[in-house]
Amino acid sequence: MSTTFQTRAAPIFQFNRHREDIQREVSRRVVHELATFGGLKSPRSYQLVLNDAAYHEIRRLEKTPGASGARLAAWHNLARRLGRMDATALEGELEDLACFYVSDVVGNFDPRVYRFASKVLPVGLGMLFNTTDRTSGLTSMRDLSERIRVEGHTEHVRGLVERGTLVVVPTHSSNLDSIVLGWSLVAAGLPPATYGAGKNLFSNPLISFFMRNLGAYRVDRRLRHELYKQILKTYSQVLLERGFHSLFFPGGTRSRSNAVEQHLKLGLMGTALSAFQSRVSRGDARPIYIVPVTINYPLVLEAETLIEDHLKEQGQARYIIEDDEFSKISRVTQYAVKVMGLNTNMVIRYGAPLDVFGNPVAPDGTSVGPDGSVVDPRRYLYRDGHPVVDPSRDREYTRMLGEAVGAAFLRETVVLPSHLLAWLLMARERRASPGLDLFALLRTSSGDGHGLADVYSDATRMKAALLAMSAQGRLQVDDFIRDRSPEEIVDEGVRTFGMYHTRPVVERQGELLIVGATKLLHYYANRLEHWTEDLSRAVYDEGDPR
Amino acid sequence: MTMGPQWTIIGDGPWGRALARVLAANGQRVLLLGVKSSRHKLPDGVSHTTDAERALGASERLIMALSMADTEKALEGLAPLLAGHHRVVTTARGLSPTTARRASEAVHRLTCVRQVAALAGAADAEGLRADKPGALVVGSPFDAWAREIQGALIRPHLRVYTSADLAGVELADIMAHILAIPVSIARALKVGAATEATALTRALAECERLVTGLGGQRGTAYGLAGLGVLTTLIFEGVGEGWRIGQALAEGDLETAQGIDTELAHGAEALAGQAARVGLEAPMLKAVAGLLAGKFDAQQALDALMRRAARAE
Repeated sequence: MSTTFQTRAAPIFQFNRHREDIQREVSRRVVHELATFGGLKSPRSYQLVLNDAAYHEIRRLEKTPGASGARLAAWHNLARRLGRMDATALEGELEDLACFYVSDVVGNFDPRVYRFASKVLPVGLGMLFNTTDRTSGLTSMRDLSERIRVEGHTEHVRGLVERGTLVVVPTHSSNLDSIVLGWSLVAAGLPPATYGAGKNLFSNPLISFFMRNLGAYRVDRRLRHELYKQILKTYSQVLLERGFHSLFFPGGTRSRSNAVEQHLKLGLMGTALSAFQSRVSRGDARPIYIVPVTINYPLVLEAETLIEDHLKEQGQARYIIEDDEFSKISRVTQYAVKVMGLNTNMVIRYGAPLDVFGNPVAPDGTSVGPDGSVVDPRRYLYRDGHPVVDPSRDREYTRMLGEAVGAAFLRETVVLPSHLLAWLLMARERRASPGLDLFALLRTSSGDGHGLADVYSDATRMKAALLAMSAQGRLQVDDFIRDRSPEEIVDEGVRTFGMYHTRPVVERQGELLIVGATKLLHYYANRLEHWTEDLSRAVYDEGDPR
Repeated sequence: MTMGPQWTIIGDGPWGRALARVLAANGQRVLLLGVKSSRHKLPDGVSHTTDAERALGASERLIMALSMADTEKALEGLAPLLAGHHRVVTTARGLSPTTARRASEAVHRLTCVRQVAALAGAADAEGLRADKPGALVVGSPFDAWAREIQGALIRPHLRVYTSADLAGVELADIMAHILAIPVSIARALKVGAATEATALTRALAECERLVTGLGGQRGTAYGLAGLGVLTTLIFEGVGEGWRIGQALAEGDLETAQGIDTELAHGAEALAGQAARVGLEAPMLKAVAGLLAGKFDAQQALDALMRRAARAE
């Protein structure tokens, strides 16, 4: 797919020219904003910020085996000196640190690499995934790109590119998301978007090279102090203000349970509103558009690690997983080859764009209210005739935007055969052992057999229920489910589950479907968790037996 | 006195006029929007119009002083005139008879307005007019807007509090008015203080359960909108719920049904919502059943007392 004129004109192609300027502006703003800390406006606030950074860094470095002793000593040294430093010295110290972190974060964008990569990206992906066996890697990747379907409101979104700045907000299931999504932008004729990727993803030099050059900046999630958080937010805001299309994963981390994310992290999303506000106050009327996207995998590369983590921590997830399937190149290749063999696609679905207040946006770029009338988003910032800054109001606006994005995630979720089959089998297991808690159920259901005829008949009702929900606009149903018979859908689900995971999720033995890896079954069933109540009623004519 | 900011009150009935009077007494300018021209004498600083475009153009501060059903109708009509800078405070109690929405939900579903607050509490038009001591609570996550309403309404005899829990305030308010009914029945049937106390504690527990179960925060039920309203109604023996309870105790179903149809709708709709999300709400169900004529007051009370014989 070749780049269009439109995408070549995207602001990110000018990034290198502005890089130093952006770096300076971010440092300057962060130092200015941190002059007040916890509501205090005094030199003491710098002291508090530096102390907070030193505290978190010393704690982190002390716990990290093999961390640099010199850096730990430098932090200790700073912590000791803090009390004796005057206002100028404190400000200087903060400026130095801010500059250091900003340059660590700031991305690189090489238009030549982008043009190269977007033309040959499927092949490029192949090189990333398979460096040893290049020939078969290339072929498998070219085919893999045919297994990715990009659908939804892409044309609508394309029409907005020249009118404002896009903030693409996808669901997050896998470390492949940013790569696959980057490819979908090209496939949809959309411009590249800058995004923050976890620093751990940069550990593979080849992946790092591509990610950086495709517009990624580095986010070190081990750094928990206020200064760093402020730098990330400000960096994102400055990029948006300057019209760089951006991408955030509002779920924060990959969905551990595989449920469609509903509790979204508002920090980064709030920068869209702040950037819009800043533009309005400068008389710049270009809107910022939020584009919800769902990434729907028939199989998820890291499913085994993610669900294990979800169940082990019961919600208190390890924040960073460094040793999952993504870090093993052979596993990624295996995944790619297997996905290729499926009859179903992974689906990247673009939702209808919203303004930063959660209003739908018409194809001409104007916001629309529930009654169909045109809404001027700038008016939300006005009080008594002037735009007013009110952080508590804006937090609430952002919370409402988060709800609107969460609702869009549900509406735009695409149900695939593997989700349907997993949900059905989990529901059958639950019905067979009512009252059993989830952990007991997962321990005991491996090896259970389900009559194929029964599963087919359940699938017939489930297909009807899903199509009815889809007609109501509550979710999307993949064409495979729409066009094929319940028998074919179930068979495709079984095929999918037998394909990639170390232990099959489900296996067919004669006229029985035998449950294998129960945790994975639970993981894939969770994709439909939000609709469980209604599905139970439709398929089994009763509520969820939980 | 310097003139304060401009407010528009949508609805020129007794409640709207009473609120206008309070605002005017605090130096605010008020425009009352009615369907027909008004014959009532208006205090200084209060004017009247039937021109919705003028009323909404004049002010970004809007008070909906209408019943729940009329609030929804008015919002549908006004939606094209509303913009992002408008801030709305609703005062309707209960749930919409047609859509089962709370007033604030109706604003969000029907208009582009984001900054919404709900006014609740134990004060009525008559009390406001007579300067009787009263208390109101403004529920809104938009802190500046809640405090603006508080500042505009607070009077020496009228205490106004704020809460960030919009849904909780709306739910606790309607629950308190409904749950006054069984306590009122207990009083009328002269069953004694112990039974009344049981009814009251069970009512509060149910109020907390429903408020938190349907989207409010913990503790809001024990604040002014819940416990505050309930005790005011009980101590003073006032309000529609109280009168409904008295009528039911006398076996006068027809009168009870006619006192406040929105409260009756509210009880039924809330009982339905509670059932949908799996919340126990025996008192709500009892009230809904009583008002539907399924059983009489003594039977309802007996049934509730039998239920009470288990761990608290």
